[in-house]
Amino acid sequence: MMDAIMTDGLSFAMPLLIMAIGGIYSERAGVVMLAIEGLQGFGAFVGAAAAVISGIYLGTESPLLIFIAMAAAMAGGAAFSSIHALLCVKFRAQQVISGMVVNTLAMALSPFLTSVINRAITGNESNKFQIGPSVRFTVPGLSEIPLVGGLFKSMYPFEIVIIAAALISCYVLYKTRYGLRLRACGENPHSLDAAGGDVNRTRTIAVLICGALSGLGGVFLAYSISATYSPNIYVGYGYLSIAAMIFGNWKIPPTACVCMFFGLARSAGYQLCLYLGMPGSYSDLLLTLPYALTLLLLVFFSKRNNPPRAMGETFDRSRR
Amino acid sequence: MSGSARRGGLPGASTAWTRFLEVMSGDKTSHIAIPLFSVALSMVAASLLLLALGENPLVAMAAFLRGSGFMVKPSYAGGQSALTDFLSFLGILAPMLLAALSVAAALRAGMFNIGVAGQMLAAGYVATILAGYADMAPALARPLVVLLGLSVGATMGAAVGFLKYRFNIHEVVSTIMFNYITSYVTGFLINTHYSDAITRSSRVCSRAARLTVTGIDVGGLRLTFPIGILIALAAAAIMKFVLDRTTVGFELKAVGLNRDAARYAGISVGRVTVFAMSVSGALAGLAGVTYYLGYYNNIMPKTLASLGFDAIAVALLGNLNPVGSIFSSILVTIFQKGSVYMSSTLGAPQEVASVITSVMLLFSACGACVRFHAARMLEKLAGRGGSDEGGGG
Amino acid sequence: MRQERVENDYIVEMRHITKRFGGVAANDDISIGIRRGEIFAVLGENGAGKSTLMSILFGKYEPDSGDILVRGRPAVLSSSNDAVSLNIGMVHQHFNLVPNYTVAENIILGSEPIKRVFGIFPCVDIKTAEARIAELSRAYGLEVDPSLPIAQAGVSVQQRVEILKMLCRNAEILIFDEPTAVLAPREIEFLLDIIRGLREKGHTIILITHKLEEIMRVADRCAVLRRGRLVGTLAVADTSPQELAELMVGRELPPAGKRPSAGFGDTVLEVQDLTVRDQDGLEVVKGVSFSVRRGEIFAIVGVSGSGQVEIADAIAGLARPQAGRIRLMGLDITDCGIRRRIEAGISYIPEDRQRYGVILDFTLAENLAIKSYYRPPLSKSGVLRPGRIREFADDLIERYDIRGADGAGMITRSMSGGNQQKAIIARELSRDSALIIFVQPTRGLDIGAIRSIHARIIEERDRGRAVLLVSLDLDEVMNLADTVGIVFSGRMVKISPANRLTADEVGEYMMGVRV
Repeated sequence: MMDAIMTDGLSFAMPLLIMAIGGIYSERAGVVMLAIEGLQGFGAFVGAAAAVISGIYLGTESPLLIFIAMAAAMAGGAAFSSIHALLCVKFRAQQVISGMVVNTLAMALSPFLTSVINRAITGNESNKFQIGPSVRFTVPGLSEIPLVGGLFKSMYPFEIVIIAAALISCYVLYKTRYGLRLRACGENPHSLDAAGGDVNRTRTIAVLICGALSGLGGVFLAYSISATYSPNIYVGYGYLSIAAMIFGNWKIPPTACVCMFFGLARSAGYQLCLYLGMPGSYSDLLLTLPYALTLLLLVFFSKRNNPPRAMGETFDRSRR
Repeated sequence: MSGSARRGGLPGASTAWTRFLEVMSGDKTSHIAIPLFSVALSMVAASLLLLALGENPLVAMAAFLRGSGFMVKPSYAGGQSALTDFLSFLGILAPMLLAALSVAAALRAGMFNIGVAGQMLAAGYVATILAGYADMAPALARPLVVLLGLSVGATMGAAVGFLKYRFNIHEVVSTIMFNYITSYVTGFLINTHYSDAITRSSRVCSRAARLTVTGIDVGGLRLTFPIGILIALAAAAIMKFVLDRTTVGFELKAVGLNRDAARYAGISVGRVTVFAMSVSGALAGLAGVTYYLGYYNNIMPKTLASLGFDAIAVALLGNLNPVGSIFSSILVTIFQKGSVYMSSTLGAPQEVASVITSVMLLFSACGACVRFHAARMLEKLAGRGGSDEGGGG
Repeated sequence: MRQERVENDYIVEMRHITKRFGGVAANDDISIGIRRGEIFAVLGENGAGKSTLMSILFGKYEPDSGDILVRGRPAVLSSSNDAVSLNIGMVHQHFNLVPNYTVAENIILGSEPIKRVFGIFPCVDIKTAEARIAELSRAYGLEVDPSLPIAQAGVSVQQRVEILKMLCRNAEILIFDEPTAVLAPREIEFLLDIIRGLREKGHTIILITHKLEEIMRVADRCAVLRRGRLVGTLAVADTSPQELAELMVGRELPPAGKRPSAGFGDTVLEVQDLTVRDQDGLEVVKGVSFSVRRGEIFAIVGVSGSGQVEIADAIAGLARPQAGRIRLMGLDITDCGIRRRIEAGISYIPEDRQRYGVILDFTLAENLAIKSYYRPPLSKSGVLRPGRIREFADDLIERYDIRGADGAGMITRSMSGGNQQKAIIARELSRDSALIIFVQPTRGLDIGAIRSIHARIIEERDRGRAVLLVSLDLDEVMNLADTVGIVFSGRMVKISPANRLTADEVGEYMMGVRV
């Protein structure tokens, strides 16, 4: 049972984490990011579409498909996030509203395009893509550790990619030139502007990175949860990752802990139901646990939050 | 300005252009001109989309209108007419308008209520259990349903406002959490206690509790009139009055536009925050009862109404104004309600409707930008006029 | 003789510069030349166009017409990057620093030194940067600790960071925009020494200021701007402060006469052992006690960030005191809400007028009514009366001479800063409060507006109000105050009748030199 909690917990936590990291890029750069929900869904759609279309040529069993899906999802998420970047950075739209615009657009466009593509390929107007199950693997050695060994059993290739992306993000945000400039944009964009940096460019890149990472998270969700892509991808996990980011105070390590907490609380709830032999409907009640706990914990920790100071402000050189 | 216009190569075109810019950027005109402009642009975009799908845009638009009962269809099933379609349209317009007002009420106070769907569900659920499954006379049941919708929604909204002001929990986070919790808890209760074996939704609520007047006889047609639309229009009127003419409305707007200045002026920001979220929640609760006890009459467990999220688009399109929301909700509902008929007659995918809605939202989000650029172009024209005069003097 | 020889040695030349904003000429056909290695002052009132002119040189704005020559070559300056690559640096009036970055991180931002970890991963090399900064700061006498977070640094340290930022980018020409506005007298001394030191090391300095005294002390030459036009370029050695002042204002300045109070009445405000903490829990006001009487202007002076604004905020109810009592006419208001205090008789003209003073998207009438909308005659049982609000606004607009094209119905955002301030003052003074708090009431306004506000302050005092004035401008304080309270790092170190202290003595208290 412990193994199952760990395995399932990790596979739920990882997509949340990568989306939350995307959010950290964007919001640390000063652009409010409510669009993660739409970006992950659209990314998942592009990834799934790419997998289905290339499946026609490579065969549906090809192990390459999952990597094609990943790459396409990241490209799709990034491309779609350019709408948010354009609206917020260039068109001076209110960032909260722009985020919701992107969500609405994604939720409308992806099922529409899915049925258009399905009609072209198969002739019937389904709004689902069958993408087949992902390969899974177990890390020898590590998986034998008691209690936490489950974390290393039947892992998705995505999980490795996401952990790598998280580590790289720590390096990018805190060690590189771009990271220094990005965080300056979120605290006081005028400082970067005065130092000769390009605030709008830095922010645009941050939003695009967020789109790519969210897309990756979305396609992972499509693979891990149902092995299909359907409009059910929009169940609000993007929003949940925003909550994790805020809870994690816009820093990667605490955010990772929050995501693991969400994942483990959720899988523990499921396993507890199975263990107690409760009917399936009772698991719904336990599923509220992570959300109720989040609210409760936020009551204690929210006061100490310090969001990026310049978040939500359109950069305007003449205002100072 | 007149100077630059006179000097321009095409005086007529130049004045028309200046006039257009003035209307787009003016303090008094822009709030109407900009949404109209975005709707016009979206209609162009929608037509292009329909053309790309191989449909005649005019035929498709007519199909949307026919599906919503604004135009007569070529043929009807027995007991159906354009009037029944229209009344059904009003039935779904009511929760849409109320939900949009809910979003607008919160946003005018500077808060983003993404929890409309959850608040609708909670209110709809409680009203269904307490009034919908009870054996009550309509005269008692219907007011009770409205009252329950109001109070359940208001309580949830107030909780969000309280968490924000007392514990600094962002309303986006708390409403999302409440959405999940409501969805799972009501889903659990419906599945364990109130489930209908065949439909897998909750059992249908009693006729007495539904917010509809049935059996109106018009020219041999038996019609069902949705009471919800009256509630929604009344809510819009009251909200307009409160925002424009009352001290609480003044405070709400002040807090929404500048929390710091409102606090400095002695307005209790915490009280206004809780008040605005309660109002928003109450309106969402009303949307919930008109949706679940009037239009669908049962509840699908673990499903949040997408209408609760579409309402965000509607409210923004309506410029967060109650009257604007009436127009924008009609517009959006025509596309959503008419999409079924459009899809069945033309064969274009039903999802076209939501694409059109989201494109409208996209263009309206650019409103601030359009206004900004219009003002700047106007300034440039004026500046050129000024420098010409300077050169002459 | 020397002048003849260096005549053509202009390092920067601006020829016939014109720049308009919305039809108003901020710079109108201005031509100046700056010589290598001199301190060149640009003098003018607020709004005379000196900041615009220098922003053009720094690449922030492009001129509508005119040419710029740097080192004899025509230069196209379309961004600050262009300026930096021509070795021009600017120290802005508002510092552009990231509060949660260290001194070193702020300095290297935009031109970060890079090292490669494991030969592959490029990383920002903070160690090298810190060493370089330490070395530079020694060479120029600009003491800073490279690893100190900016949020913990004082104003003068922040200014040194800004200067080091320019030096790290090899700036040869340094523009200082009103550098002394936020400094205490002794810090001004240090800064002027630093500026002279920079000239010794071969830098060219452009000093934007409206303070004549600074020009007389350090500048070699001076250009005077008035209403967007150049009225003259003078050698400082051949001129007098009076001549400069007349050129700047365009008329002879009447001597700034000081009118002492006719006598003090009852105590209006009594502050006892007030302690306030900021958001991070640091004590910014430490056990401050003082009182203000009717007919008295009590000025709190201190270096920026010494706790003076927090004292005013605590009295108005915007900041919650940690300890101590506040009494207004005998009534303990320490635990009262903001509205109770307003009604008890406190008017407050805040420092940040666009953040606190007005709601920019409200109409002028709404902003004027924002403290009285909830009471008759402006509303009745919760319903606003637009007619009465309009009348109320029209009355204030006329009495306080608030100008704007559309009157009461205009959106406040489209009004000028001076008129926004007038509106705030009209609203606050019309309340007939017993206590009026002014925080930096004349910041950023032109001399005409400053004079009228000073006259209002004195008028209110003479009408028997208690006035609490918080200002960083020592001249303003010495001109107006009856009593001076000097704060140094959160403590009230001296309270004295204004006429018993000289400006120099006040300056010493402000720096904590005297106790």
